[in-house]
Amino acid sequence: MDAVPAVEIRDLVKDFKTSLRKEPLRAVDKVSLVIQPGEVYGLIGPNGSGKSTTMKALLGLVAPTSGSCAIFGKDSLKVDSRDDVGFLPENPYFYKHLTGAETLAFYGKLCGIRGRELKDRVAELLVLVDLEGARDRRIGGYSKGMLQRIGLAQALVQEPRLVILDEPTAGVDPIGSRQIRDLIMTLRDRGITVFLCSHLLEQVQEVCDHVGIIFRGKMVREGRLEDLIAIEDQTEIVLQDASPALIAEIQALVKRSPDTRWLHAGKPKTTLERLFLRETSSGDEP
Amino acid sequence: MSAPNSRKLPFSRVRRISVIAGHAFTQLVRMKVFYFLAIFALIAIASNFFDLPQHQGSEATGSHGMDVLRLIKSWSLGSMTLFSVVFGISATALLLPKDVEDRTLYTILAKPVPRLDYLMGKLLGVLLLLFVSLAMMDVLMTAMLQVRTSMVLSHQQDMADYLKWDQPARDSVRFETLANGPTWGLQAAVAAVFLRSAIMASVALLISTFSSSTLFTTIVGFLIYFIGHFQADALGGGDTGTSDAMRHLSMVISLVFPDFQLFNIIDAIIQGKTIQLLEFGKLVAAACYYIIVYTVGSWFVFADKEF
Amino acid sequence: MKAPVKYSILTAGLLVAGAVRGTWENRLDAEFHAAGLLRANVGANTRDRIGQTSSAVALGGLRTLVATFLNLRAFTFFTEQRWGDVNDTFETIVDLAPDTGDYWETGSWHSAYNASYYYRYDANLPPLRAREEWRQAIFWGKAFLERGIRNNPGDWRLGNALGLLLSDEKKIVDYRGAAEAYQKAADTGKAMPFVTRFVVYCLARVPGQEAVALEKARQLYTIPSNRTSTLLCVLFSLEEKATPSSNPEAHALALFGNPKAAYQALSLYWQSRENFPLDGVPAALQGLERRLGIPADKSVLSGKESGKPGAPDWLKNPSLIETESTPQAAPPPLIGAPTPRPSR
Repeated sequence: MDAVPAVEIRDLVKDFKTSLRKEPLRAVDKVSLVIQPGEVYGLIGPNGSGKSTTMKALLGLVAPTSGSCAIFGKDSLKVDSRDDVGFLPENPYFYKHLTGAETLAFYGKLCGIRGRELKDRVAELLVLVDLEGARDRRIGGYSKGMLQRIGLAQALVQEPRLVILDEPTAGVDPIGSRQIRDLIMTLRDRGITVFLCSHLLEQVQEVCDHVGIIFRGKMVREGRLEDLIAIEDQTEIVLQDASPALIAEIQALVKRSPDTRWLHAGKPKTTLERLFLRETSSGDEP
Repeated sequence: MSAPNSRKLPFSRVRRISVIAGHAFTQLVRMKVFYFLAIFALIAIASNFFDLPQHQGSEATGSHGMDVLRLIKSWSLGSMTLFSVVFGISATALLLPKDVEDRTLYTILAKPVPRLDYLMGKLLGVLLLLFVSLAMMDVLMTAMLQVRTSMVLSHQQDMADYLKWDQPARDSVRFETLANGPTWGLQAAVAAVFLRSAIMASVALLISTFSSSTLFTTIVGFLIYFIGHFQADALGGGDTGTSDAMRHLSMVISLVFPDFQLFNIIDAIIQGKTIQLLEFGKLVAAACYYIIVYTVGSWFVFADKEF
Repeated sequence: MKAPVKYSILTAGLLVAGAVRGTWENRLDAEFHAAGLLRANVGANTRDRIGQTSSAVALGGLRTLVATFLNLRAFTFFTEQRWGDVNDTFETIVDLAPDTGDYWETGSWHSAYNASYYYRYDANLPPLRAREEWRQAIFWGKAFLERGIRNNPGDWRLGNALGLLLSDEKKIVDYRGAAEAYQKAADTGKAMPFVTRFVVYCLARVPGQEAVALEKARQLYTIPSNRTSTLLCVLFSLEEKATPSSNPEAHALALFGNPKAAYQALSLYWQSRENFPLDGVPAALQGLERRLGIPADKSVLSGKESGKPGAPDWLKNPSLIETESTPQAAPPPLIGAPTPRPSR
């Protein structure tokens, strides 16, 4: 692609001093990744693997020991780079005494938006994250899922081209989680680049198109999700209202092919999550 | 995209700082510690309304009246000093650690907000709150003083009538009483109280940039406040043959820590002295120097601090 | 940037800023001191006396506040007649609040008037001892007042109080010193009009200064509001002393305007004496008594001085002053407080 990459991290190394005598802890060890505009990139790894540190380095909250980070070509250590990015930290707290609308207005003003434009943006975002009904409720009274959603809204307040989400669905119930994932899809549809990190692998699988696996500070595997998780040598065919006779015919067809082996036929399973959602969703917000 | 372009305008910087300042203001105003301190100070000032059981019946002319006025002034200014210093230090001390702990700092710094703007916004929020509180206390004190001064004046009038004083005598006493009542000099004294607490707030800001503990920042802040007052005494009597090490230490202290001696003009004003506008301006400039130095220091520490 | 490097730079920066600060801060400090806005630091003695917490308040906040509370304490000591404590407390008070003239005045008054009276009359001490304590108390008060004047040269009331103390005929009786004190007070430009008159009254009683006194008295006479009965009496005597007239009675009538006023003023003057020059007074009185038809047995010139309606009574009963006004019922006694005196 000719466009400037949304995120470009090159050989990022970050050491932390633990105590004066011991060796410094290498939290991130020569991590490189590139995210193109419009992608949804998931950085996955166990706790303590360096995901958050990488994100913070990208946001300039932490200075790299060596290597570089850039957002749309601008160096992360400069304030400029944050024009185009919105960040939702892990387990965010917002100022409890502000209402939802006031919180968004606060962040909007910080970004230089004001007046009519600010009002409209706040209203629009509240609709997007489905918190219109709670706009005048104090943040102190929000549930976890609502907090995440208002957090996502504040990340979007200045219409950034890149959104960084740190564990966006951690601790959120399946319904809220679903909502967030739907929001991420909406963002993708709007052309906004999403960079998220999580250790809830199934959820990552659902939304991301690119994935990087990070372990003990090193990037061990990276690429398109499809490519990574496809089991190369197997094929899946899903039929609806297939009669047993048809299935027997297909089976016979496969038997005739020398290299192909019939592995399994049966009813596909739904997931527990889908069952839960089907049973609990009534269209109301939590 | 309006945001990136508008961000660079100088006025947008001011606006950004004022958003953070206004926010810090509302955050602090809601805190219980503020309410308690403010109400305590207001009650202390209002208590001047009640007569002290002294000198009753004797010395019923001028000097007793002046004494009461002086008492009101020193008591009120004392309460204001206590409130502003305690609040200035402790409120500033908790601002940064609270944001770090709540991780709201991340959300703010992830926006295109320069770190200096963030610091200045927080400091200005505290200063704004101090200013508003002291202004309210000033109004209360001035009102009390005005009432008292009128009482003293009318009492003096009665005595003068009784003793059949002529006009110059009456004028002389009246002039002196008015000089002890609410004057512009008194407002300058309140401004000096504000400036002193502003300096302490900026010191607390500096300490809080490298200390993550609110308690540590608060305690060190108070220590610096007292050292700032003792400095002159400690150094003034410094030729008592102290060791070289002590002399070097006290010199370092005098350079790094603020010297609040200049602000003792408050005492002079209570005793009825006046201060010229130019002199007051110089005091303001001195305070600004301190505040700027400490804020720049804070920025230096905070600029590449990692979270 | 590594932490140690960063903090070294920060410390260096603060030191440099502090050094730069020193350039103008010392100057500003000196300026404020010169303008009287700042005072010398609280001495170690004072700090000892007022204790730790008060030291903290005084040094950290307001000296005047501590001074105010000490003033209350001093008053309590006064009521308990603990004169040593009164003096000590006032020493501390003026150290904390040297610009408040009231404290100097009150401190001196307690010693020179209240304490001295106590030692002389109430303390039941052997006479020599009593006299010594009385003397010491008065001199302490005088010294205290003089220190106060040095600290507050612009405060006319301190000069006035010193003049009053020195011209008190029951105490030191130093009319020359009193005249100087009154003159300094008048020179501040803020003093009440009677102070200039008092200069004359004191000079009139200094041997050899009568000519100067006369000159000043004549200057004061040109302003109608200065023509109090005392001034007229003093002027009369000084003129008689300088150039004795052949007809003092006529002289008196010319000065006073009518015989009754002249007689009232001069008879009072004659009776209270107070070391004033009396040239021509007896002769004038004789003439006036004849004119007014006062019988010889009621003459003021006969026999002893009357019960001294001089300084002590005068202090208590201000109605014995202006001849124009009818005496009022006596007001409640002022305890000899050194407040401004009504015109004499």
